[in-house]
Amino acid sequence: MNANRLTTIEQIAPITEEGTDYDFYFGPAHSGSGNFGVKLKIDGEKVVSARADPGYLHRGFEKLMEYRVPMQNAVLSDRVCVLEALNWNLVHAEAVDELTGVEVPQRARYIRVLMAELSRLQSHLIWYGAMSLGIGFDTGFKIAFGYRDYILDLFELITGGRVYPAGYICPGGVRRDLPDGSEDKIKRVLAQTEDVMQKMKDFDNAVFSSRTRGVGILRTEDAIRLGATGPVLRACGVEADVRRDDPYEIYNELDFSIPVREEGDAYARYLVMGKEMEESIGIIKQVLERIPEGKVREPQKITPPSRVKIPEGEVYVRNELARGEGCAYMRSVGGREPYRVKLRGPDLLHMIPVLEHLLKGAQIADIPTIYWSLNICPADMDR
Amino acid sequence: MAEILLKEVKVIEEISAKFKIDGKVQRERRVWVTIDKDNLIALCNFVKELGFEHLSAISVTDWPQEGRFELTYHLWSYSEKILLTIKTKIDRANPIVDSVVPVWQENAQIHEREFHELFGVEFEGNEDLAPLFLEDWDGPPPFRKDFDWREYTRQKYYNKENEREQAYYD
Amino acid sequence: MVEQATKMKRLINAIWIFNWFNSCGFTELFPLVGSRWDMERFGMIITGTPRHADVLFIAGYQTMKSIRRAQVIYEQMPDPKAVIALGACTMSGGMYWDSYNTVKRLTDYIPVNIYIPGCPPRPEAVFEACMKIFHHVGAVPPHGRKFAKAHSG
Repeated sequence: MNANRLTTIEQIAPITEEGTDYDFYFGPAHSGSGNFGVKLKIDGEKVVSARADPGYLHRGFEKLMEYRVPMQNAVLSDRVCVLEALNWNLVHAEAVDELTGVEVPQRARYIRVLMAELSRLQSHLIWYGAMSLGIGFDTGFKIAFGYRDYILDLFELITGGRVYPAGYICPGGVRRDLPDGSEDKIKRVLAQTEDVMQKMKDFDNAVFSSRTRGVGILRTEDAIRLGATGPVLRACGVEADVRRDDPYEIYNELDFSIPVREEGDAYARYLVMGKEMEESIGIIKQVLERIPEGKVREPQKITPPSRVKIPEGEVYVRNELARGEGCAYMRSVGGREPYRVKLRGPDLLHMIPVLEHLLKGAQIADIPTIYWSLNICPADMDR
Repeated sequence: MAEILLKEVKVIEEISAKFKIDGKVQRERRVWVTIDKDNLIALCNFVKELGFEHLSAISVTDWPQEGRFELTYHLWSYSEKILLTIKTKIDRANPIVDSVVPVWQENAQIHEREFHELFGVEFEGNEDLAPLFLEDWDGPPPFRKDFDWREYTRQKYYNKENEREQAYYD
Repeated sequence: MVEQATKMKRLINAIWIFNWFNSCGFTELFPLVGSRWDMERFGMIITGTPRHADVLFIAGYQTMKSIRRAQVIYEQMPDPKAVIALGACTMSGGMYWDSYNTVKRLTDYIPVNIYIPGCPPRPEAVFEACMKIFHHVGAVPPHGRKFAKAHSG
């Protein structure tokens, strides 16, 4: 009986010799990240090959920095990736500090770590929101963005801007001290963040894990070769974190652990992200206990930028951003502006080699899950 | 203090036993090595055996007065926890260098593609050097020092007659 | 703001936005969808296709590659439509005024109805601009009425 039905359908709509191959362009308008396109070749429901199409957000950042002095670059450097502005601010400030050889005061270092960890928290909330949107879970998206606003209020209190802190972490320290009463406000916001993390654990039900378990598996032997860093690498079983291996600021005095998972799929990345948020909250609490008194900027007297020259030299600075490893190579020949700045973000590697590798052989319905689970920011890739 | 730099000094000694290099230890976990462009691939294969499996970045600096491009390869070792930088210089008028894709595969391939587009450097051995960021660009390689961006934007985007844009022409 | 909202309901029911979330400005459009600023109570939602949308937000700088796509999207949107330009980069080039690849004056490429200054502008500023759009859309006669008038006689 079944064989008869199949034969009838074959007569009405036979599969032609061309088969079921077609080309498909995924992007460039995504609700949750910048503009980025992927050209896919699809056979039926499976992806055969993928080719990334970047360049929608290319501004030529590195050469823009060659036209500006370091204090102007401090304001420009937050705009490399808008989702973690303070972390990029820190990368640039560390590079200039190492070139000039200035001794940053201890209190400024603690404040820098505090702002960097707060920025990591809000970036992970964006990751959770965008990933739930890709999976089809609207409530998680709205709650994550609702609670993230409390952290932005803290940024506005301390630095003056919700999204862009106007170069708060500048070469030589930070621009101004924490206002009075900010410690209580930070503790209140941490309690609210722990609230939303409890909600995230409650939402981690069978539906969420069934859409992400076993999807987009990145194996350990491929991960380093393709250039994965940060949470994507830690979800594959490699224990590597720049804050532990190559410590900067005062991370060698703090006590935190590094979450590692073995499976390498989208669910493992989600769990790593959740544990990293807990660790960040622990770090912020330690910073608030141990922060010393003192000045926050070296030198205290502000010299006009036209008279400050960067000494000759070259330096390579590595930081752990929320997405992976962010580095800056700065070369100076003794002038007022840097001679060459090279910014290395984690997303150039995550979006082109890793994404093309993971999309090969995936189902169409899983493409958004894989894309959002890598936590990518196209602005960081194109610069 | 001296024992902290023991690993870094050992790396320089192991490399200079086999190659003619100019090496220095800048601080802990930072080693800088300069080499001739002809020995570049042999050195890259050697340091990958030593444990430098992660290519963090490649960078190109333009020195027009000297007439050279300077390439820097920044390598990180997860086991030794040291960052090694290899520097080499190539001719600016004819910028051809061996590709390091056989050593670090896809990681190096995407970096070389970026610098082929932005500086015009030819990487021999890299088959896929298609343009990455720019679409329909027919000008000179944009990141070179002789391409003045402010002059270019004044001509292309701004209008000298418009009195609100006079500030860009001062 | 609530009193203005109830007045607006007589002019128009809702405006739908197409999600061309390009650059820096989109981080301040996201909290609008979230539970704190909640734009859905004013009837604004984000759609996935330009055919359903009334308003196009150009949130920040555009490069030469992305302005071509934005022009195609603008032409696909049906009348009446409006373009809201967010940020300093759309007015004069903003932070990247000397970049070789970004668009400096957005009006050269797409007709703009409202500019919102800021880098990036606060969510309250975006709401104020959307209220002004309600006025604008109420004032434009629907396409059919104009057509009928022209051909009746």
